[in-house]
Amino acid sequence: MKDIKRRIKSVGSTRQITKAMELVSSSKLRKAKQRAEQARPYFNELYKSMCEIVSANTDFSTVFTVKREVKHRLFIVVAGDRGLAGGYNSNILKLAASAHSSDKEKPKVIAVGKKAIEYFSKRDYDIVGIYPNIAENIKPAQAQEIADTAVEMFRRGEVDDVQIFFTMFVSQLTQEPQQMAVLPMKTQKLENYGTMTYDPSPEAVFDRIVPKFMASLVQCAVVEAYASEQGARRTAMESATDNADAMTEKLSLLYNRARQASITQEISEIVSGANALE
Amino acid sequence: MMPFRLQIITPEKTFFDGETEQIIARTTVGDVGILNGHEPYCAALGIGQMRVMIDGQFKRAATSGGIIKVSKEKTVILVQSCEWADEIDVDRAEHAKQVAEDRIKAARSDNDLQLAQAKLKRALNRIDAANLR
Repeated sequence: MKDIKRRIKSVGSTRQITKAMELVSSSKLRKAKQRAEQARPYFNELYKSMCEIVSANTDFSTVFTVKREVKHRLFIVVAGDRGLAGGYNSNILKLAASAHSSDKEKPKVIAVGKKAIEYFSKRDYDIVGIYPNIAENIKPAQAQEIADTAVEMFRRGEVDDVQIFFTMFVSQLTQEPQQMAVLPMKTQKLENYGTMTYDPSPEAVFDRIVPKFMASLVQCAVVEAYASEQGARRTAMESATDNADAMTEKLSLLYNRARQASITQEISEIVSGANALE
Repeated sequence: MMPFRLQIITPEKTFFDGETEQIIARTTVGDVGILNGHEPYCAALGIGQMRVMIDGQFKRAATSGGIIKVSKEKTVILVQSCEWADEIDVDRAEHAKQVAEDRIKAARSDNDLQLAQAKLKRALNRIDAANLR
């Protein structure tokens, strides 16, 4: 009986923790979602500007749009800083691992989030950048730093292909790990575009935009991933709380039964004792 | 002067969306002035200052790197960061400058050095803008 009581207590305190974590992540999720939405207009406008440049200039090509033979790859992997978020971390890391399973050599990695850093350093990847603890409050300058590293490596020819891995926030309940090609860049041809004067030249403007665009992409990916992380954690914690509830119920049933049994036994002992005296 | 629509968008949020009469911005090739009816125009902006006229008054802002795009309907300025001069926290900018200077001294690779120098430039630009308001 004592054992059951102790277990009820420990399940209860676990429940308290998971409930608190659930509440925390749902409030963080709300903020993260808002930030993800605010980051979008900048990204959209930049993308449109780039497409306009490409569309308006038929013979346009820069180092960023030309496909090369892929010898070395760079992966930017965005995972969480903390665990206890269901499958959030393992899903994205698994996706990144499977994406290069057919390659001869391991890709270079920029790891965002402690879990990604742990994962890749344990497996001896060539890590060119680590960024722990930035996801919650990423600054444009930090996103720029990550983007600049990638752009610079691409420009120098150290890598021929840059991919970013992050978790897309689909809804409160579903988050999808995603892989996106970053460099070389893909642009759409727009149907109707105005003629525009570029100062000093379309190429120069384009080359200026690319790092900005990349930074914006990183920023979007990170805030999106952070929202996903909170969503995943909220769901995980919610089910943990539910499990704890179910467990307490079961345990208290057991406890009450045991208590009842011991009372019954006591009574029957007293009664049989009284009977023996007569 | 006829006002026209201006949007200043940063990665974090839409910083400004409203009417303006005139913009003077520093592009990579020099200052440009934009009035209503300007031809479609697109240029890259460096780290620098920008003046926006609202109700006949110039407002100064510190921006760091981006592009300006003028089209018929509106003008869009996409910058990595933007702050009105009178809202700049000078202490914070001074602190950023200090950090950047330390990092330049401690820089081990070219990449580190470049990043630190860019940081310093941004900090100096903000201090400048705040002093000029």
